[in-house]
Amino acid sequence: MLERGLEEKTYVLNLGPQHPSTHGVLRVELHMEGEFIIKADPDIGYGHRGHEHMAENRTYAQYLPNMARVDYLHALAYNQGYCMAVEKLLGLTVPERGEYIRVITAELNRLTSHLLWLGAYLLDLGAFTPILYTFDDRENVLDLLDYLTGSRLTYCFYRFGGVPVDIDDDFTDGCRKFIQRLRSRLPDYDNLVTKNVIFIHRTKDIGIITKDQCIKYGLTGPMARGSGIPYDIRRVEPYSVYPQFDFEIPIGEQGDALDRYMVRLREMEQSLRIVEQALDKIPSGPIMAEKVPKRLKPAAGEVYTAVESARGEFGCYIVSAGDTKPYRIKLRVPSFGNLSILPELAVDTLVADLVAIIGSIDVVVPEIDR
Amino acid sequence: MLQANIQKNLAPLNLEQVAAGDYAKTGYHLEVAAAPEQMPAVAQAMLSLGCFLESLSGLHYPEHFTLVYHFANFGELCRTAVHVKVPLDQEAVSISHIYPGANWYEREAYDLFGLRFAGHPDLRRILLPFDADFHPLLKKFEASQADA
Repeated sequence: MLERGLEEKTYVLNLGPQHPSTHGVLRVELHMEGEFIIKADPDIGYGHRGHEHMAENRTYAQYLPNMARVDYLHALAYNQGYCMAVEKLLGLTVPERGEYIRVITAELNRLTSHLLWLGAYLLDLGAFTPILYTFDDRENVLDLLDYLTGSRLTYCFYRFGGVPVDIDDDFTDGCRKFIQRLRSRLPDYDNLVTKNVIFIHRTKDIGIITKDQCIKYGLTGPMARGSGIPYDIRRVEPYSVYPQFDFEIPIGEQGDALDRYMVRLREMEQSLRIVEQALDKIPSGPIMAEKVPKRLKPAAGEVYTAVESARGEFGCYIVSAGDTKPYRIKLRVPSFGNLSILPELAVDTLVADLVAIIGSIDVVVPEIDR
Repeated sequence: MLQANIQKNLAPLNLEQVAAGDYAKTGYHLEVAAAPEQMPAVAQAMLSLGCFLESLSGLHYPEHFTLVYHFANFGELCRTAVHVKVPLDQEAVSISHIYPGANWYEREAYDLFGLRFAGHPDLRRILLPFDADFHPLLKKFEASQADA
């Protein structure tokens, strides 16, 4: 290090907020010693829109569209978590067909999120081609969801008590075609990427997370499952009609970036299985609960509901003071906890590895900022 | 099983309330009320049973703040909600030395409510700009105030 009379010293390197690998507007202040990071300090909040403050100034129904704008990649999970919380406060029950439509659309939405992550993660690691393939696949799902909900990204589809639009044969056929198509594509991804030696070198033994760290930092979703904890809200705290479906919870062993990659890749197959079973089993009947009050005024009380979003546990905590507006809504977003471990993971790694770690966390920064 | 163990671990701490919750209604298996200075002991008891901190929410009431800590467990479904009342002019007590994940949640509560945590290693704003001069989730705050 001390060649040619240069002095060894530390310096500060600014990663982001406008950096292609920080997915949105995340800034990380890196204290470097040569090529190695000695301290990383994430700076979040660039996309803070005050969603929790907005909740206190809107009625329950007026707040629905906000949900799609927190985590825009898995908007329907947020729709579902919020609707479940309000339904619990009001004592509403969703008819079974409504729940099935929720599960089908939420799982399709999970696939779009994982497909985007897959392409973007490999782009971070320097592989350009996969994103073209994954966006091609993702486009198919977006068309299906667009057909049903009217939007491509910021869905506001669920209502308190059910869903507003029923699915028809065109949608069902489209889903089945898509399932077939993605099933034929997944082995291609495996062959192209998973067995690629450069990819393995970039991700294996990088960003190892232990089970103990998962507990201390409250990591959920693929972050915890990559470390071998089979924690999936759809299984441990079953909601909606998930208990009626047969699906596996893929887990990793070592908790490195490669394990998290494998978990998400295998989850896509499980989502396809769930959609397929739901299409087969969907009962006929109403899609909306009867007698949903026009003016929502839940009794005073509090409620916490959790759903599994593509990134982990989304918790919706509502405190009602018996008014038409919530007294307080707290959004427990998975990426907030998942990112908080970054300072610990970054120490003694290279900047290039930090990019591999941030990508493997799968952060959606506007979700953290709220 | 876990619920009984948590109750057993919390019993020696002489908390204000440790009661079974109405899961169907609120989503809690256990409802606990504690004083701010008891929080590190509660957190230690939860950590020893392998529970993780799900979320930390602040609430602003006219007479006091309430902090709500949600704990859950990877192995068994058991959600514990710990309510901590903090008088408006006092500090809460940090648990970030027990749960490093609480570090950011406490910074968030400080940022949004102006509520300070004693023993926090790095109590800076987290979501709002560092030079902001308001705490937006206080009930008296209105967005137009900051615009003006």
